[in-house]
Amino acid sequence: MSWETVIGLEIHVQLSTKSKLFSGGSTKFGAESNTHVDLIDMGLPGVLPVANREAFYKAIRFGLATGANINQTSSFDRKNYFYPDLPKGYQITQMTQPIVEKGSIKITVDDYDKEINITRAHLEEDAGKSIHDMFEGETGVDLNRAGTPLLEIVSEPEISSAKEAVAYFKAIRQLVTFLDICDGNMAQGSMRCDVNVSIKKSGDKELGTRAELKNINSFKFIEKAINFEIDRQIRLIENGESVVQETRLYDSEKNETRSMRSKEEANDYRYFPCPDLLPVIISDKELKEIKENLPELPEEKEIRYINEIGLDESEAKIISSSKTMANMFEAASSKTDDAKLVAKWLVGDISALLNKDNIDIDESNLSAENFGILIERISDGTISGKIAKSVLEEVWETASDVDEIIQSKGLVQIQDESILEDIAKKVIESNPNQVSAYKAGKDKLFGFFVGQIMKETQGKANPKAVNEILKDLLK
Amino acid sequence: MDKKTVTTISYLSRLKIDNENEQKIINDLSNIIEFVDQLNDVDTSEIDPLANPLEKTAKTRKDIVTAKNLKKKLLEVAPSANEDYFLVPRVVE
Amino acid sequence: MISHKEISNKEVIQEVFSLINQFQDLNTFITLNEENSIKKAEELDNSPSNLPLAGIPIAQKDLFCTEGLRTTCGSNILNNFIPPYSATVIENLENAGCISVGKTNMDEFAMGSSNETSFFGNVINPWGKDLVPGGSSGGAASAVAAGLVPAATGTDTGGSIRQPASLCGITGIKPTYGRVSRWGMIAFASSLDQAGPMARTAEDCALMLNEMCSHDEKDTTSLDNAIPDFEENLNSSLKGKKIGIVKDLDLSNLDNDVVEIYQNSLKEFESMGAELVDISLPHLSLSVPTYYVVAPAECSSNLSRFDGVKFGMRSEDVKDLEELYVKTRSEGFGNEVKRRILIGSYVLSAGYYDAYYKKAQQVRRLIKNDFDNAFKKIDVIMTPTTRGPAFKIGSKGDDPIQMYLEDLFTISANLAGLPAMSIPNGNIENKPIGLQIIGNFLDESTILNFAHMFQNETNWHMHTPEGIKQ
Repeated sequence: MSWETVIGLEIHVQLSTKSKLFSGGSTKFGAESNTHVDLIDMGLPGVLPVANREAFYKAIRFGLATGANINQTSSFDRKNYFYPDLPKGYQITQMTQPIVEKGSIKITVDDYDKEINITRAHLEEDAGKSIHDMFEGETGVDLNRAGTPLLEIVSEPEISSAKEAVAYFKAIRQLVTFLDICDGNMAQGSMRCDVNVSIKKSGDKELGTRAELKNINSFKFIEKAINFEIDRQIRLIENGESVVQETRLYDSEKNETRSMRSKEEANDYRYFPCPDLLPVIISDKELKEIKENLPELPEEKEIRYINEIGLDESEAKIISSSKTMANMFEAASSKTDDAKLVAKWLVGDISALLNKDNIDIDESNLSAENFGILIERISDGTISGKIAKSVLEEVWETASDVDEIIQSKGLVQIQDESILEDIAKKVIESNPNQVSAYKAGKDKLFGFFVGQIMKETQGKANPKAVNEILKDLLK
Repeated sequence: MDKKTVTTISYLSRLKIDNENEQKIINDLSNIIEFVDQLNDVDTSEIDPLANPLEKTAKTRKDIVTAKNLKKKLLEVAPSANEDYFLVPRVVE
Repeated sequence: MISHKEISNKEVIQEVFSLINQFQDLNTFITLNEENSIKKAEELDNSPSNLPLAGIPIAQKDLFCTEGLRTTCGSNILNNFIPPYSATVIENLENAGCISVGKTNMDEFAMGSSNETSFFGNVINPWGKDLVPGGSSGGAASAVAAGLVPAATGTDTGGSIRQPASLCGITGIKPTYGRVSRWGMIAFASSLDQAGPMARTAEDCALMLNEMCSHDEKDTTSLDNAIPDFEENLNSSLKGKKIGIVKDLDLSNLDNDVVEIYQNSLKEFESMGAELVDISLPHLSLSVPTYYVVAPAECSSNLSRFDGVKFGMRSEDVKDLEELYVKTRSEGFGNEVKRRILIGSYVLSAGYYDAYYKKAQQVRRLIKNDFDNAFKKIDVIMTPTTRGPAFKIGSKGDDPIQMYLEDLFTISANLAGLPAMSIPNGNIENKPIGLQIIGNFLDESTILNFAHMFQNETNWHMHTPEGIKQ
């Protein structure tokens, strides 16, 4: 018996506005508990929400970038349920008229591409945080996060494996960071997702009963949680039992999902239009402005890098896939005429160093300025590629200035033919045997002479010049 | 409107109905529902719902942080809190 | 309004508190603000101000949040709640020089028409110690009728200003929805709630309204429309003005006295040159059932924030979170509030939403359309405010529907968002009764004009209960 997996993702993206969706409270992460709580976030009696227009603009950017419909009239509804970190006893969300509908995004898995349709993306307010493990017998509530704008991005159930789910999540993350609507910081919970998983016999038309896996916030866990859940469901069905529709919590320590049915019993959210908020209408003019100011997206960059700058596809793909890489590439290229060389170093030595230290390029000591100059010094022949490596390593450690390193360590390449010729002659005189062996036809020894000269010059000799001179002298 | 329905909606509302009042409440609610059922006498198939008498577009805010730090004030009005958090009985997930 | 420059502000305020003391039995106030009031009066005496309402003592309905002053909304669940902020209405009035002498008693969360649902006990109607003052702004109406204060704030979701005004023989106006900011008003039904003044005369209401209205960025339903000077139009002639008479309104089941008083008032207006025009509001009869779907639905959600977690009362010794919620809310809310929360949860729950909530929203539009059509050819609509004068405490038993029908004439104005007021226009067995004047959208000036002209010709508004001086 073979099974097909059907997966749909609901990704909650924290929009990077300064203030909250319905209040002037700050959205800054990591503040002291309950210091970013406005009267409105607190849900005090008599307070009223006022929507933050910037949140709509950010949501619309996402909509445009995924070729979705933008509902220029969108409204808010209330989702009613009780929980300590939900101050009003309801969450303000968009049920009937979401700001974004019917988009799609391309994902790449190992050897194939796939288009995943996005059902809707709607604005809603985040809840606060409940701290369960800090106090004896009590749960603490921190409302700093309450009211932070979320864009909930709901995919169609078109994802057919844990791998695809991860690829989809990564594609969304890449997009929202390029659009500058979310910092994409998973560790801080800027992106979280709920996963709907069900299985059905291969070829079956209708979907099986699904379980919803709540609040997973790392790529690794998405994959593990889904794979665990798939196995669990298959086991159930093959043992003649059936899957219950329920919410399940993924426990990353035990690597298992467990039922949260306790919370589910008789849940009915009683959605209805929020009577405090009239519909928000986005004008054609606003929409046009947002369109015109949409930043360049990865695929567009990739194509431009290939066609206009002449990078090869693999380079272009790697560099355009991360916003920080692309930024570094474009900034450094503006300091030198040799953008291709910038790319080579970026995907070569620099990527290697990044992997070694396991950091992102904007966390490194390398400034775009310094990097651009380094490349310029190579292409203008001031230093050799070999020297450049050591310079890069020093910059990597100390962040000091490339030209200073070159000067202070006297690494400038020796071009002067007369100097090189004198050195070459010394080398030849002091190695008569090798000379005669070479002349007898042992061509390999040519490298030996080059090596000797490099040794004499601590690698500063211009290799091209050295080759020509030696060829002459060894005729 | 039967016992089961009342149990469900009182759970959703987080309200306890003690047994002596239960029958009265069931009756009251049934009467009220019966009373509002006369709405079905009118045909509304072509009518858009009206959620608010103001059929206008909402005013919105600029993205500016205006809130002050009210931590002390807010924790003061709370029925149970320590110097940093609102407190409730331990929630087990 | 009372111009009393011969005595000091402090003396006025002291007089107010001695009267409040003398009429304690009326139970009109939940919380007094004596110390601050006297302090503010002294300040005004020391540095006289020319603010429009400088030194005027106002009773504030206990549904408006007042910074540093307990605000209960008539409920046990808020009996210890001291808001860290003030309602816009309160700020507007105090910035105009008013002195908030205290917070008036009311039906719990404004849900009631007799003030019998207040956690803090019945309010007595000064017209008879066994009579209800009406509700939900019963404390406010009683305080003005008893002459404790010249004016009070009220709120009106289905008649909560007009019905008690009628039953206590005073004047009260519910402005157009959106005229007065709802910021800091504890919400009952957000799409219906509107604050307004209660006073002896239409003129005083106009003075109050001038200060209460504002464009408030904190309330997205607060209107940007220009706010007129509501005094300006008070004395305009009524010649040729048209009064809509609702022919669908069945007055046959009212006592004859009510009908007679109503018709006498209409004659009075005719004698001032106004014309009576028959109009049809075919869906009017559905306003009460519509209201009793919409209002409970909104309140069931609005009152979810009272959960014992962040503010207000929390029940003792609860073993877990679930019990904390249930016990706190069950002990914190009274029966009528619970009843409406349950109804609200029911009409919003899956499977019933379309049949009840959506249906009611559709009928609501039909009711609004009826008014829009009617106002094409008239200036105001007149009806009795209530089915009769003040009734005896407890006389409605505990049949909710009987109580709900009290609001028969008043509710439709809330559903349509229209301004409406009640003015005293008669007396039945020494119990006052009121006339309702409904105006077109944003046209408070015209209904105030009709009311003021009526009060120029009649003196029902100056009648006071025995033992109470004007």
